[in-house]
Amino acid sequence: MTNGGREALTPQAARSLVDSVDVFIFDCDGVIWKGDKLIEGVSEALHTLRSLGKKFVFLTNNSRKSRKQYAKKFSKLGMEINEDEIFTSSFAAAMYLKLNNFPTDKKVYVVGEEGIKEELKLVGYESIGGPEDGKKSIQLESSFFFDHDKSVGAVVVGLDQHFNYYKLQYANLCIRENPGCLFIATNRDSTGNLTSLQEWPGAGCMVSAVSCSVQKEPVVVGKPSTFLMDFLLERFRIDVSRMCMVGDRLDTDILFGHNAGCKTLLVLSGTLYQIIQWPAQLALAGVTTLPALLDPSNSIHPDSYANDMSHFVQLLSQ
Amino acid sequence: MLTSRVISPSFLPLPPTASTSSSSFSSLRTILSPFLAKTQLSYTRTSRMALSLTARAAANKLENADELIDSVETFIFDCDGVIWKGDKLIEGVPETLDMLRSKGKRLVFVTNNSTKSRKQYGKKFETLGLSVNEEEIFASSFAAAAYLQSIDFPKDKKVYVIGEDGILKELELAGFQYLGGPTDGDKKIELKPGFLMEHDHNVGAVVVGFDRYFNYYKIQYGTLCIRENPGCLFIATNRDAVTHLTDAQEWAGGGSMVGAIRGSTQKEPLVVGKPSTFMMDYLSNKFGISKSQICMVGDRLDTDILFGQNGGCKTLLVLSGVTSLETLQSPDNSIQPDFYTSKIADFLSLKAATV
Repeated sequence: MTNGGREALTPQAARSLVDSVDVFIFDCDGVIWKGDKLIEGVSEALHTLRSLGKKFVFLTNNSRKSRKQYAKKFSKLGMEINEDEIFTSSFAAAMYLKLNNFPTDKKVYVVGEEGIKEELKLVGYESIGGPEDGKKSIQLESSFFFDHDKSVGAVVVGLDQHFNYYKLQYANLCIRENPGCLFIATNRDSTGNLTSLQEWPGAGCMVSAVSCSVQKEPVVVGKPSTFLMDFLLERFRIDVSRMCMVGDRLDTDILFGHNAGCKTLLVLSGTLYQIIQWPAQLALAGVTTLPALLDPSNSIHPDSYANDMSHFVQLLSQ
Repeated sequence: MLTSRVISPSFLPLPPTASTSSSSFSSLRTILSPFLAKTQLSYTRTSRMALSLTARAAANKLENADELIDSVETFIFDCDGVIWKGDKLIEGVPETLDMLRSKGKRLVFVTNNSTKSRKQYGKKFETLGLSVNEEEIFASSFAAAAYLQSIDFPKDKKVYVIGEDGILKELELAGFQYLGGPTDGDKKIELKPGFLMEHDHNVGAVVVGFDRYFNYYKIQYGTLCIRENPGCLFIATNRDAVTHLTDAQEWAGGGSMVGAIRGSTQKEPLVVGKPSTFMMDYLSNKFGISKSQICMVGDRLDTDILFGQNGGCKTLLVLSGVTSLETLQSPDNSIQPDFYTSKIADFLSLKAATV
């Protein structure tokens, strides 16, 4: 039962939630870890949920790593998670192309990092661009002509810390000039907790930059698009109402849950220990803070909210 | 069988004149109030007003050039696609400008290109053999500095620049302190554990324009200033999707850099370049001319012509740049200038025909 998300999770509501859900879908950045640091109490919380017979999967918009690389990250943090329990927006992009029968004789131009390139390779697609194009620059003498590969049939844009004008222009030319060229965004998060101490610009920046120059909207495969939910339903074969999305962002995690029809729990661990707290309305642009959640201008309400994973699980025994 | 159900989030990049919700506008007002006089807020409003509610009649092909010339006192010319293309002068331009000057017309050149300062543009005109005074040139780099002056932006505050040399030069001329610009293009960040990016808390405005040295460092620096420095302004020189850096092809324009910063802050910028009317208001104030006495001549519908219409002056589209007759007459196009012609030299040939 939803209480409109304006009230914090109570012990009773926590128990009721756990009873009504078989599968928990966890966001990663800000829920499980922040940068390379595990959030306190997460291992124990997951252990408790497993002992109650719950299954889980991890659903992240962060496209920088592939599923395999994320499994390694979990392992380094002391958690043994199988790569097929992890769903990334990089995986989503590759799957989108596969399911839409993208021809293997066409190339994909990547404005993003290794994770996207790896996932594309796993399904048999050739990609160009990626981190190496981060070293390229443009010469602007009047005779200079910027050439691009005419066999590029799709441009995939995700978080790219090596973003530069060269890649922007390459993507611009492919989308404008190669007939039928797809424009796919892994996600449009404005920011993310890429390191433990502060938020950083997210894929939303790169996607907006490309979108503004080509004057076209991309197909978005990561949250809040429900594209990945199909994979989860196929995997678990249960009713979507028996799943719960646990995340730290209203405009991706919680909206995903609403769009897909599953339950939603917001945790505030994305911003709870942040040094700088922005004013509520500006905070709606980033990872969700409590003031932003409760602000009257917020229109996205989770079923409930808790401080973090540890707090959620503690409520079960209170 | 898996089917893909893809839903895009509601956030869309807004075209320069789309109206935004009143709640985001009022929050913008609160944030900007320390630096903005009431009258200045109109620049955000007019630059984002939806196109006029009255449908405009289709553009007329220019036949009687004399009539148009005699009906106005000032001609405002866009540069790329009107005066030159890349580094080449368009046919008949020098003679046309001379003719207009001999008829006592004031000439002004307004460009959204922020890579050069007015002085640097003056040199470009000179190299092409045109006698144009620096005071007659208004680039969006100049507009950014002029805007900050018009709101009495404090001289002890700094400006973070995501853009090129032109903006830096104009800020310097106006006496403002700046950080950023091309040299930040060499800065890299490593997303390592324990890394914290610091930023100057004294930055009171971030100016974003076309930037071929754009990178992740600058996006984060600009974002931190806008989000964490109270009252920090977010100013865009322009939002052009594409630009003509060379005459051989189109290049991603300043709209991309602005889009990236809008992406991370989800804030709307104050736009000083076309189609915002800031430069039009500045000119009419400076030269003491009324808008009805002006004709805007440009090659782009969504910047030049819209600029003229928003400003309330006459508009002439030339087909010597990015817009074709087909685009003008397409059912998808809703921006109709008063007149259109193939190039400005038609003023001479059409004039001769009516003698």
